[in-house]
Amino acid sequence: MSNTGQLTQAESATSSQSRILKSIVSKAIPYLVAVVAAFAVGAIIIVLLGHDPVRAMQSVLTTSFKSQFGFVETMHKWVPIVLCALAFTVPLSTGKFNIGAEGQLLIGATAGVAVGIMGSDLPMVILLPAVLVAGVLGGIVWAGIAAFLLVRFQVNEILSTVLLNFVSFQVIDYVASHVWPDVGAGHPATISVGEGALLPRLGPSPAMHSGVLLVVIAAIAIAVSMRSTSAGFEMRATGANQRASLVHGIKTSRLAGAGLVIGGGIAGLAGAIEVAGVHGKMLEGMQSNFLILGIIVGLLARGNNFAVPFVAFGIAVLEVGASAMQRTAHVPIELVLIIEALILLFVLFSDVPKGRFKLGKK
Amino acid sequence: MTLNGHPRLKMTGIQKRFGPVHALKSVDLEVAPGEVHGLLGGNGAGKTTLMNVLYGLYDADGGTIDIDGSTVTIKSPRDALAVGVGMVHQTFLQVDNYSVLENVVLGANPGGSALSLNLDEARSQVLDLSKRFGLTVEPDAIVEELPVGVRQRVEILKALYRGSKILILDEPTTNLTPQEVDDLFQSIQAMVAEGMSVILITHKIQETMAVCDRMTIMRLGENVAVLNKVDTNPEELAAIMVGETANEDASAVVLGEDNFVSLAQDGIAVSAKNLVIRNDHGVDLFQGFNLDIRAGEVLGIAGVAGNGQVELAEAMAGVRPLQSGSIQVEGREMTSLPTVEWLRGGVAYVPEDRYRDAILPTATITENLLLGSQRSASVKKNGLIDWRAAQKRAEDAVSAFSVQASGISALVGALSGGNIQRVILARAFAHKPRLLILHNPTRGLDIRSTQFVYEQVSEVAKTGCAVLLISEDLDEVIAQSDRVLALYSGALTGEWSHSEAEPYEIGRSMTGLVKES
Repeated sequence: MSNTGQLTQAESATSSQSRILKSIVSKAIPYLVAVVAAFAVGAIIIVLLGHDPVRAMQSVLTTSFKSQFGFVETMHKWVPIVLCALAFTVPLSTGKFNIGAEGQLLIGATAGVAVGIMGSDLPMVILLPAVLVAGVLGGIVWAGIAAFLLVRFQVNEILSTVLLNFVSFQVIDYVASHVWPDVGAGHPATISVGEGALLPRLGPSPAMHSGVLLVVIAAIAIAVSMRSTSAGFEMRATGANQRASLVHGIKTSRLAGAGLVIGGGIAGLAGAIEVAGVHGKMLEGMQSNFLILGIIVGLLARGNNFAVPFVAFGIAVLEVGASAMQRTAHVPIELVLIIEALILLFVLFSDVPKGRFKLGKK
Repeated sequence: MTLNGHPRLKMTGIQKRFGPVHALKSVDLEVAPGEVHGLLGGNGAGKTTLMNVLYGLYDADGGTIDIDGSTVTIKSPRDALAVGVGMVHQTFLQVDNYSVLENVVLGANPGGSALSLNLDEARSQVLDLSKRFGLTVEPDAIVEELPVGVRQRVEILKALYRGSKILILDEPTTNLTPQEVDDLFQSIQAMVAEGMSVILITHKIQETMAVCDRMTIMRLGENVAVLNKVDTNPEELAAIMVGETANEDASAVVLGEDNFVSLAQDGIAVSAKNLVIRNDHGVDLFQGFNLDIRAGEVLGIAGVAGNGQVELAEAMAGVRPLQSGSIQVEGREMTSLPTVEWLRGGVAYVPEDRYRDAILPTATITENLLLGSQRSASVKKNGLIDWRAAQKRAEDAVSAFSVQASGISALVGALSGGNIQRVILARAFAHKPRLLILHNPTRGLDIRSTQFVYEQVSEVAKTGCAVLLISEDLDEVIAQSDRVLALYSGALTGEWSHSEAEPYEIGRSMTGLVKES
């Protein structure tokens, strides 16, 4: 046993670099295959629908890069997708599933819009931070309900977070129709927030809102914290083996709750940024499909917080391309969601042969 | 009383491998009709593995099974039940919120279509079985509200209801009260009186002598002896289980000659008083337990698995809360402190169950080595964990403990059992412990690694660290300890100094015979 072991050690010293390269390539291949396969299936569906697949795919993939408008649009989509993905991956690192990013986003938006309307006369230096903080706190409170139920009564967090989404729909409906309704909008929406609540734009029109920059910083800070703070390490340890973490003095149950609460805060921030950067008010339906996109991104990144922003960018490109595709090739927008789901499915499928192969080797 | 001259059960040359581990090396077992057959052996002897093969949970790599003279193929528990083999596991496989009756008939197809369920016939059958074998149950009680002893009866009834003629009981008395044990044994007698065969997996010699007609003793995946009760006595059984193999044991090679040097100092370093420790089933296994360890002393706890070792180790490590009593480490009262404070106070714990209690399988070696000290200032730089320094320490630990892995970024779950143990030991020793709790620390290690562990233990003992060595390897306990205590069912049944420790005597105390002083 010892002899063979020494051999492998010697081997690893000489070929470690080529091995690292190999492992990167072998890890990337399933993703590439999954993306290509998903687009191939998408193209087949487009053909079956009687449209031009080349033109459709061209629109999907290039709209983001053809004009400044397209790129700004993409980054504006990217912001909530990244945040909703992190709202999923942070609790996931403790082994908990937060399926409530959309409710947390909406309550964050509600809190943000409330501050933005009530304090509409305040100057920006006070009002804008207050709006963003209120959004974070709103998300924290909403996820905090699920976290409390989990830690105190062991209520399954998947159930509680999903159900709280439905409650949040009623909350924003009430706020948009009864508290600060914009009667002229023809759609449940609040009146606009004060000038001071809006995120300043970066550069000439059409310009990005500065929330993009904020999210770049937040995403890096979150990824670094999860990797290198004691609490982040403890959260990841809890997800890897709860029992061993407990034996080594980690308060696992509390950390699981904390993970959900942090996730909620992140989603709440997304809500506040949507209010302060995109809409200037709160409106029904503003959660779009960010919950599901966040989960897709989180799963595609396999919970790796550093990978989330990059995967999210790819998904944002597809999302923005979707409406262009509908205009140019008359293919329904939903096809892009099908492609996104197929990418995820194919990536997940790639685990099956891998797992089989490993078992076979044993 | 054999059918056509055939034994009820004949297992021949059964082999089973788990990867590199040869769990069963050609094991034979023969059980007659109307016999209670004891299957004895320490942990890891292969008793449960052999019975899981018989019950179809594992697929054997070789060997044959004959029941009443005809060879059978058992690929699943369904096959096993079809040929009359039933098994009661240590952990009950029951639906908690179903009634006793519903649990008994579950999966047994009591008649009717998928849409209807008529339990009248089943009810009378269950009541009949319950009366015949003295297994008193209330058919409509919800099982989660029942005590352990009654839930076990439900499990036995499940097997009987399915027509078992061979009933396997896996350590059935572990969580039973003495009265419940008596009831169980009476039921067993009633079963064999009707011609059934019962196989009792156990490591408690007294029980075996009370109820078994014949016994097969296993050790390290082999059957070492088959004895009739009338031809043997507790001392001989203890000798076979513990003594005869002393020279074959790998660790015995290392420990061939006694070169033990005591490093114990005068002061008491660890003091545990009046401990009441509850097990996972809500039973107070330890009731008023006392333990003192001097600085630098290695205190060995000898005992057969399941007599409270895990509970004691966890209580001493601050992982399992005490019901009452107090534990002091170097004069500091630890009793009600959270686990993290115990770690900070220098208590290092090497658990028995490596996979469950000690490692993060999907994390790297570096991360696993950090576990437990992630909050200490020494691993940080600018408030964040200094991964570069952690990697450097991991490199050192990997070479010092000769962990064989592709590198410090290897996932610990992918390492072999022995290498996982080295990572765990490296972490424990890096902790600069003041109390080191080792539970079966060298199980699965090769001789060289075993020797290495013993050297490391001496190193920390030199620094005045108190060591609690809990092991089922009696040779190891005797060779490494200043003092040996025998543990039986949560109580101490004997104490020996290093020089007077004698395996046969300790072996007897391990089976519950209190040492005469």
